[in-house]
Amino acid sequence: MDLFPSTSRILRYLRGMNAENVKEWKIELTYRADFIRGMLEPLIFVFPFVLFAMSLMGGRTSSVLEGLTGVSDGITYTIIGYIFMGFLNTAVWGMGFALRKEQWYGTLESIFVAPVPRWVYVLGMALHSTVHQGIILFFQILVVYVLFGVILNVQGVLPVLVFIALMLISLVGLGLMVSGLALIFKEGWIVSEVLYSLITIVTPIAYPLAVLPPLLQKISLTMPTTYAITGIRHFLIDENMGVGLLDSYSRLIIIGVCWIITGLLIFQIVDRKVRREGTLAEY
Amino acid sequence: MDLAPEHAIIAKGVVKTFRKKGRRKYGIGPKITPDELIYAVNGVDLTVRRGELFGLLGPNGAGKTTLVKCLSTLLLPNKGTAIISGHDIINDPIAARECIGITTGGERTLYWKLSGRDNLRYFAALYGLSSEEADRRISYLMKIMGLEDRQYERIEKYSTGMRQKVSISRALIHDPPVLLLDEPTLGLDPSFSRFIRSFIKKDLNQKQKKTIILTTHYMDEADQLCDRIAIMNEGKIVAVDTPEVLKRRIPQDEVLEVRCLGHADFSGIGQRVYADSVEGVTIYRIHAENVEDIMSQVIQAAHSAKILSMNVTKPTLEDVFIHLTGARLTGEDNEQ
Repeated sequence: MDLFPSTSRILRYLRGMNAENVKEWKIELTYRADFIRGMLEPLIFVFPFVLFAMSLMGGRTSSVLEGLTGVSDGITYTIIGYIFMGFLNTAVWGMGFALRKEQWYGTLESIFVAPVPRWVYVLGMALHSTVHQGIILFFQILVVYVLFGVILNVQGVLPVLVFIALMLISLVGLGLMVSGLALIFKEGWIVSEVLYSLITIVTPIAYPLAVLPPLLQKISLTMPTTYAITGIRHFLIDENMGVGLLDSYSRLIIIGVCWIITGLLIFQIVDRKVRREGTLAEY
Repeated sequence: MDLAPEHAIIAKGVVKTFRKKGRRKYGIGPKITPDELIYAVNGVDLTVRRGELFGLLGPNGAGKTTLVKCLSTLLLPNKGTAIISGHDIINDPIAARECIGITTGGERTLYWKLSGRDNLRYFAALYGLSSEEADRRISYLMKIMGLEDRQYERIEKYSTGMRQKVSISRALIHDPPVLLLDEPTLGLDPSFSRFIRSFIKKDLNQKQKKTIILTTHYMDEADQLCDRIAIMNEGKIVAVDTPEVLKRRIPQDEVLEVRCLGHADFSGIGQRVYADSVEGVTIYRIHAENVEDIMSQVIQAAHSAKILSMNVTKPTLEDVFIHLTGARLTGEDNEQ
């Protein structure tokens, strides 16, 4: 077995990822009502966050928040944090459930006999989920602009895209890990739910890091979402970043590499385990 | 392990075990029965020649599907390995999978919300076919399967037989040299079964010279189609040969097949008696050197059952199986 795949194999893997993406779109669009629900739900979920923030601040702005982050508009602060955290959803629910979904369809064994590594399906799902989330993000920004008058700094779009891309590297690692674990723990939603909740708590979505207890602040610094959300808000609404831009990018890359390696490792171990135990198609 | 040029598949000492967990008191308490190690495949050696149609025959639970899953890399053997078209299934599983087309059992192995054509297009991409190649190949397969008119309909609207045709098309999408067909006619009506059997024998094996491993528990299917048959029982191969040679392994008696309503006691009549029950009708197969000699005894012994028919036949593969294993292909042990 060659250590590095040949060009033709790499091309096949890429073709496989794209096919997975296209297949998911086709299946998703056959459930039209659910597709519309999926598009609207994130919009509806943002309202409690906003109303909660408004009730605490007694309006739209907060001098305390401004002192901690450099941004006084708590509504804009919360909304931006929330809508960009949608990418975490793609990792733990979209990618994480890529193989679990195939178990439900009954097609897992059919795809696992194809000559591509099993992570190709997860990356294909990552592609699908990212495009999906991108569309939701666009609508969310449009709606919050109309409803709350949130205005973003358009010039900051390019570095924001870099932050998103770097965050996605880590999230792909997380998706691989969850995807593997979901094959062992047949109730994989518990893994997703726990990881999602933990990461959400230590990420500065609706509150700055400063309000977290010291231990959680330290954990927060190991999360890619912390640097990405802060960086995105910095370029879109001038939040203080705390660390320099290059430092943020470097940390995101290092965390990304670590998470990808961990994700792949766990995925390979689980793949071997379920093939040894014969529990691949069980659900 | 070396693969001679004439061999497409060699399996050596393949063992696959599963651990059956012991029962616990109230589901969470201490174990009241110990864990059990089940040998689904127990030291299988197998050689399949290029272009050969090789049958794996055995009752449910014999280990046929587990062996096929090991060969297709879906399961990892505990011991042993196999070489498929020159590629080791453990050391180079991706290369091995490139050479294999497989149909696994079950109706839900396709995406029901996609059309037949879209299903094949997806799998074509996984097997590395370009868009043009895939289109050409899909059109060809849809045509020979007689699905051209229905190819744009969703799989959920297909009949079981049509789904099986798409499953076989999926296995053939990359034109592999080796096919693993796991119970390809299971649950199909007679006309679809006939089509699938004829397609496997004439098109895939005789015309396209594919190497095929076919698992089945239908003895007629194995008898009609296979060049050689391995009889499996309890994870082991108990005999391998051509159907004709296998049938010569048992004494060349005549067999009196008696079909009746209710049960009769034919024990002690002839050499051996086997019984089976199909849809309320009990079928007895009584082996004897000369059937005419036992006819009156049979009629007398059947007094409590209503005889529907009596036929004189030759030993079948099922008789061979019973002779070798003491069990019927249905998995029941009905020797009287």
